[in-house]
Amino acid sequence: MLGLSSPLMPAKPALPDYSAGAGPVEHRFNPYSNNHGSVVAIGGSDYVVIASDTRLPSGYSIMSRTQSKLFPLGEGGRSVLGSSGCWADILTLTRLLETRAKMYWHEHAKPMSTGALAQMLATILYSKRFFPYYTHNILAGLDENGEGVVYSYDPVGCVEKFKFGAAGTACSLLQPMLDNQVGKMNLAHGNPEAQMDMEEALNLIHDLFVSATEREINTGDSIHFKIVTKNGIEERTIGLRKD
Amino acid sequence: MSILSYNGGAVIAMKGGNCLAVATDLRYGVELRTVTTDFPKMFEIHPHLWVGLPGLASDTQTVLEKIRFRVKMYELQENRPIQPETFAAMLSNMLYERRFGPFFIEPIVAGLNPHTQSIYLCSMDLIGNVTTPEDFVVGGTAEEQLLGMCETVWSPDMDPDQLFESVSQALVNAVDRDASAGWGAEITIIEPHQITTRRIKTRMD
Amino acid sequence: MASERYSFSLTTFSPSGKLVQIEYALAAVASGAASVGIKAVNGVVLATEKKHKSILYEDHSTYKIEKITDHIGMVYSGMGPDYRLLVRRARKMAQDYLLMYGETIPTSQLVQRVANVMQGIIYVTQEYTQSGGVRPFGVSLLIAGWDASVNNGSPILFQCDPSGAYFAWKATAMGKNYVNGKTFLEKRYDDKLELEDAVHTAILTLKEGFEGQMTEDNVEIGICDENGFRRFTPEEVKDYLTNIA
Repeated sequence: MLGLSSPLMPAKPALPDYSAGAGPVEHRFNPYSNNHGSVVAIGGSDYVVIASDTRLPSGYSIMSRTQSKLFPLGEGGRSVLGSSGCWADILTLTRLLETRAKMYWHEHAKPMSTGALAQMLATILYSKRFFPYYTHNILAGLDENGEGVVYSYDPVGCVEKFKFGAAGTACSLLQPMLDNQVGKMNLAHGNPEAQMDMEEALNLIHDLFVSATEREINTGDSIHFKIVTKNGIEERTIGLRKD
Repeated sequence: MSILSYNGGAVIAMKGGNCLAVATDLRYGVELRTVTTDFPKMFEIHPHLWVGLPGLASDTQTVLEKIRFRVKMYELQENRPIQPETFAAMLSNMLYERRFGPFFIEPIVAGLNPHTQSIYLCSMDLIGNVTTPEDFVVGGTAEEQLLGMCETVWSPDMDPDQLFESVSQALVNAVDRDASAGWGAEITIIEPHQITTRRIKTRMD
Repeated sequence: MASERYSFSLTTFSPSGKLVQIEYALAAVASGAASVGIKAVNGVVLATEKKHKSILYEDHSTYKIEKITDHIGMVYSGMGPDYRLLVRRARKMAQDYLLMYGETIPTSQLVQRVANVMQGIIYVTQEYTQSGGVRPFGVSLLIAGWDASVNNGSPILFQCDPSGAYFAWKATAMGKNYVNGKTFLEKRYDDKLELEDAVHTAILTLKEGFEGQMTEDNVEIGICDENGFRRFTPEEVKDYLTNIA
């Protein structure tokens, strides 16, 4: 018997293998990215100051050195949101908050109070309980008495009211020093009820960011402050190390 | 969770002007359950040479005994006290010998030479990679909190009293933000001719 | 002969309490080429006779004085092959020490460890074992070092024998005519000797028992001071020999 490759009957070229392989192949998409960033807020008797760094990293790249993570909210109100995490989610969340605040303003003919904003943010975050906005938020504002307040959130809307707080990548580096210097923790002669004056708060936040930038690679470039008083919101920027 | 954070703990060593401070928390726990509040992780090799062994508690004890054995052998053979630099090199080698089945501790070494007044500080990872900073070293589950505190609190050439205050505040405020560390602290100030160890109270929660 | 009954095993004592194999090894050393070591205030000198058995030998193709680390050097009297094995082991032990402690080996430590090797003690997997039945090394060593850690820097000179015994010397001689050499050194040595003078004294000591003319081709010299250990070039040896004459 001649083989298939006899000169009279040339062998058919083998067909390509179109079989699907051993089993199904799973392809995955990760909907989140982490663009990091750190936020600190301190409230006083007649002001609240909130600050963020301005670095926007993605992986080991720096997408921007000048991107503030602070968002004034509430249509001429006295509230500022500081948000870090997935930048796409931050943009979506803040756009939604701005829209809802504007609707409130149209319907009630007055800006949203900080307390109302705080509650609304918690509700919005929780509404995405099973596909959360990947954001770490701090809302700073003045309450009905004009006193500074700080609301701190987890990504799914667990909220607590404080006089100061830190959120974001470097929060573990920042928070203990805030406890000590603002909350007067572990100080023999510290009065936890005493309010910090504004200059002191600004200096402390500056020192804290300098320290955090020293050790946390995703925090740096510069600090963006928003200082909220009954007269409005003042802005400041101070440089940090850029490495 | 990492094996390194199974038992919890925090250690720190800080350089002052002509003095040195080492400190440790006292908690020993199993994950979130606190078992003992009398478990220091900073150990005296000599009055002027201390080693901190934060990490898995069983490895803390094992490595401490191995260290004691090798230091004694070294000192009997060489008839001289071991120097901090030599000690660190030895420990680093000991850890690297277990490169692919490591001891789960991240040691810090701190020493002051009473004759030359020179201060040695270093920290290692669990396989013995050494870093020797000029100011302070920290380790344990509260590492990030300690770094944040130390960066703000540290200044050059502190005297023993200032150093004690800085290290205490750094340690206590850091462990208050770490559920796995705290429950009391022990702080030692090392000067050329005086060693002072103090236990301080902290939050117990 | 009765003594032959005890001359087989290294570890069997003779009735008089001697280990005769060790004595034979020492005899091999005493009939070997002479070596001298002298400690000065600022360094150590090693010198040795290196006479070729035939004029057909290529000069300076092999060395008797060898560097072990930057700050330790060695010379021998006795059997060359045994010496070269010990040099290899000494260099390896010095590097092992550096690797373990991040610090150069102190001379006394190196001497101790070389002595262990000569005594037949081996360190395997964290256990020391004594090997038996092997012959002793047919060499005595002079080990010269400079230890920066001792008294802000000190010269050190050790002798190490086939038995594993070792001694710290101010000055000593080994090999052929060593008794005369030591007598000569006892007369010449003083505590304030500078390294330059010590080199001269070492050459003069060798000269005591030297047969024929000393030249840069049959004398080797090495020095150890704060700059480390260094073997002289033949040109340098020649200069020193010229100054002596």
